[in-house]
Amino acid sequence: MTSLNNNVSDQEAQHSCYQEWMKLQQQDLLELIHALHDSSSDSSTSDLKLKQLIEKSIKHFQDYADTRRHLARSDVTAYLAPTWCTSLESSMLWISGCRPCSFIRLLYAISGKEFESHLPNYLQGKRCGNLSELSPAQFNSIDELQRRTIRLENRLSDKLASLQEDIADQPFAIIANEVAGNLGGICRETENALDTHAKCLMNVLEEADNLRMETLKELVMNILNPLQAVNFLVAGKKLHLCINAWGKTRDHLHGRNRETAERNTCPTLS
Amino acid sequence: MAGMCYGVNIAETEATTPVEPSSEAARRRRMEIHQFRFVPTDVAVAPSLQENGRKRHKVEKVVESKRQKLETSVTISLSPALVVSDEKKLAEIEKESETEVVDLSESGPQSVNIEPEVAFDFPKFGMTSVCGRRRDMEDAVAIHPSFCKENSESSSSLHFFGVYDGHGCSHVAMKCKDRMHEIVKNEVEKGEAPWKETMIQSFSLMDKEVVDYSSGSSASGSDCRCELQTPQCDAVGSTAVVAVVTPEKIIVSNCGDSRAVLCRNGVAIPLSVDHKPDRPDELNRIQEAGGRVIYWDGARVLGVLAMSRAIGDNYLKPYVISEPEVTITERTDEDECLILASDGLWDVVSNETACGVARMCLQSRRPPSPTCSPGSDITVTGAGESSDQACLDASILLTKLALARRSSDNVSVVVVDLRKDL
Repeated sequence: MTSLNNNVSDQEAQHSCYQEWMKLQQQDLLELIHALHDSSSDSSTSDLKLKQLIEKSIKHFQDYADTRRHLARSDVTAYLAPTWCTSLESSMLWISGCRPCSFIRLLYAISGKEFESHLPNYLQGKRCGNLSELSPAQFNSIDELQRRTIRLENRLSDKLASLQEDIADQPFAIIANEVAGNLGGICRETENALDTHAKCLMNVLEEADNLRMETLKELVMNILNPLQAVNFLVAGKKLHLCINAWGKTRDHLHGRNRETAERNTCPTLS
Repeated sequence: MAGMCYGVNIAETEATTPVEPSSEAARRRRMEIHQFRFVPTDVAVAPSLQENGRKRHKVEKVVESKRQKLETSVTISLSPALVVSDEKKLAEIEKESETEVVDLSESGPQSVNIEPEVAFDFPKFGMTSVCGRRRDMEDAVAIHPSFCKENSESSSSLHFFGVYDGHGCSHVAMKCKDRMHEIVKNEVEKGEAPWKETMIQSFSLMDKEVVDYSSGSSASGSDCRCELQTPQCDAVGSTAVVAVVTPEKIIVSNCGDSRAVLCRNGVAIPLSVDHKPDRPDELNRIQEAGGRVIYWDGARVLGVLAMSRAIGDNYLKPYVISEPEVTITERTDEDECLILASDGLWDVVSNETACGVARMCLQSRRPPSPTCSPGSDITVTGAGESSDQACLDASILLTKLALARRSSDNVSVVVVDLRKDL
């Protein structure tokens, strides 16, 4: 068993991993917004620049996932029920992160909004090559990606469901039923069973992270063009940061995490 | 691929089968030709978006074997069936076929008299079908140009367009997609019955197939999610809106809340009326059959199904029936396009708006959607493969509009260009 001190540092490492990630998201966001701004004035050199930024964003995402995986190996349940998220964020978690399919919903939302406001121009033949103008080929690829992702998502949800049900089965249910006296005492048998169970949870978590990563990569590196991809990443990061900030405000209203809410003042985009 | 073989085969036609004017054999040969044409277009269009790559592979094989079988009878008439994705290609193809027609006229005038007529008969259409904001895909679309002939005397072919929106599971919609056009073809070829009876009979046969399928053991082996819950299979159904387009008429048969709308000179004319349980005549019919319409999240038959007619849904019979309402509309020179769509579109886009958008797309006839990136600048892929670019553009635009307006359902849109002289 790990010592008390170790536990504290585990938790700190987990917290700071997330805080670092949110900070990085914010930095990346500002950089992407600048690049968008620059590219609107000078379109000749921008594609390469945009591509580099997209790759950078993806790399940061991957690095975060790698660090997380490393930390989760010794303490996977902390990642399935994180203490560092606001309750708003926690309520939306799917296997410790966003649902991979929400990338596509986000894309539909942003491109749809843009599309309706540009429709009159579009019908007059004007083009701006942005998210509202997904080509038939892109449209098909997105639909295909969505269907595939939903299928894989459902499969992982089923796996997690089985693991959650397993807790009510052998051996946990029997051990619990036979406990007499101290409820909190963990015997070796329990310890082993929980460790085995955690390994299975860890597999699901890794698969979920892979699916998130693959879906995002397919979208921003293969389906969307660089300009569209940067617009999409901006929207995604804004949403993530906003939900985090909204969560803090709401938690504060309900008297939760007063001290952390003060410590982590909400970021502004200016 | 169709283009590949005709040059070779013309020579063989001339050598081995001289054309006998107006003989039974000649007519049979023309029929065979159409059968051949029917294969590549038909199968290439029908597969759903996700399966396209795999299906296309299969198509090539089918064509290959058909080609061997029909080798001596294949003629120039293949060229109109070619995939036409932009005007430049179309112009090229027309040029090619003109030269070939001259060649043929030397060998036998009969073919020349007939084939150009068929060439103009090829329909222009575009289709988009997406999962959208739902996690299950229960829509299915079937498009079969030249799926059969009106009667044995006439050479004009009929085109089939169907949109099916499943509920409970996707298997009834998929069955309709696979079978409805074949059933209609059979009924049409039987001959004499008027269109209305033909279509009513077809829908009834389709419904029977679906019910037999659900109750029989054949349900296993399918990959739908209700696979192992046989009693549940009774609670699965689908809407069906089917348009058969002939040179003179549009026959629309509808069952459920998918819809067909004709755009005529800028005016939206619905060719079907949704079957909602609270439609006064439908409400009457249901009550007379002993059923009830209960308002629970909208009007529902027995508080369950939010439409009053459907294919399948055996457990709601006789209140929910599979008999379609059939409209027959004479085509006019003012007709612009026909739009068939599932309620994923109609819930958020009015008939008028849909017509306006589709019409502007067809009228502009400008180059299609922008070639956005070097990686994705293929103008047409997937199910749009053998479709007309302007129609495809229109169907995509309408789908985007539905998604932009927060349609929460699957969205399927078919746009058929009805303009005669272009």
